[in-house]
Amino acid sequence: MNTDAHEQARKLIALAGSEEPSATDQSSNAWLAAHLETCASCRSFAENVGETVRGLRAIPIAAERSLVSTTQITVRRRALELQRQKERLWLVPVSCTAVALCALLSTAALWRGFEWLGTRAQLASSVWQVGFLVFCLMPALLVGILLLAKDKDLADHTGSYTG
Amino acid sequence: MAQDSTEIARGLRRRDPDLLDRLIEQYQHRLFRYLVSLTGHRELAEDLFQETWIRVLERGHQFNDRYAFGTWLFAVARNLVIDHMRRKQPASLDGLLNDGETAFDVPATGQASAWDTTLQREQNEHIAAGMQHLPAEYREALVLRFQEGMSLVEIASVARVPLGTVKSRIYRGLSALEPWLKGEAL
Repeated sequence: MNTDAHEQARKLIALAGSEEPSATDQSSNAWLAAHLETCASCRSFAENVGETVRGLRAIPIAAERSLVSTTQITVRRRALELQRQKERLWLVPVSCTAVALCALLSTAALWRGFEWLGTRAQLASSVWQVGFLVFCLMPALLVGILLLAKDKDLADHTGSYTG
Repeated sequence: MAQDSTEIARGLRRRDPDLLDRLIEQYQHRLFRYLVSLTGHRELAEDLFQETWIRVLERGHQFNDRYAFGTWLFAVARNLVIDHMRRKQPASLDGLLNDGETAFDVPATGQASAWDTTLQREQNEHIAAGMQHLPAEYREALVLRFQEGMSLVEIASVARVPLGTVKSRIYRGLSALEPWLKGEAL
């Protein structure tokens, strides 16, 4: 009997019952049964595999109750966090829309205001329109000027220290 | 099973905490056994047990209800173990059990020491000891097959290896345990 036959038999033993039975399996099983009749070492392997599988199933590893309850609490807490994050995420587009809407309405109101003032002061339309533009850009211009001044101030201070 | 999976998938998309509570209860021992078998460390397995369920909560929407939830859960747990191993030591799962820690702690039964019980317990201890010395991929295949009762296809899906590799791992794993069963390797 060659080594391949023993290995084939041992593979069949190790994988017995792990797949849906088929016609090929039936013939393999018949061959295995015949082989085991004559081969003591493979018969011993089969017995050992049986013992090993029984032993594997008997290894008592179980999760402790405290681990399970801690996990359940942790998961619930995380689920709540995620829920809150989701809610906050929903607030972002709503806030953006509200800000855009407010800006649109206030710009329209300001435009009307400047138009009214221009008419009252009998100014050319291009003049009050430039005024409106400057008024709108004023906050950004002021912030820019302040930042530049701050940078210059800082540079001067650094210069006085190093100098 | 398909209906179960669909309901689980729906609940996971909603991040339903009651469903997660039930799943944690249902899979507690199976998942823990699997994690202990992969890591070889009870404490590490406990940490990864919690991390696995947090991952299930966060990535629950990725669960495809065409598959069994258990298979997906084990795959999630496996990925976490691999991530952990990569962080700890840039090697494969193989080197996990080489630090001499006891992994498969088989507690005493506390029963009267009848000869058969003692012999059986001794044999189980030998097998548990043998498992510690197996490469992690063999250990994983044996645990999934014989402790979790998974089919070869399911094991292949969890371990992301071809069916032939799973068969080979089971065969080699059982063969490697043979000397331990006989007490020859002790």
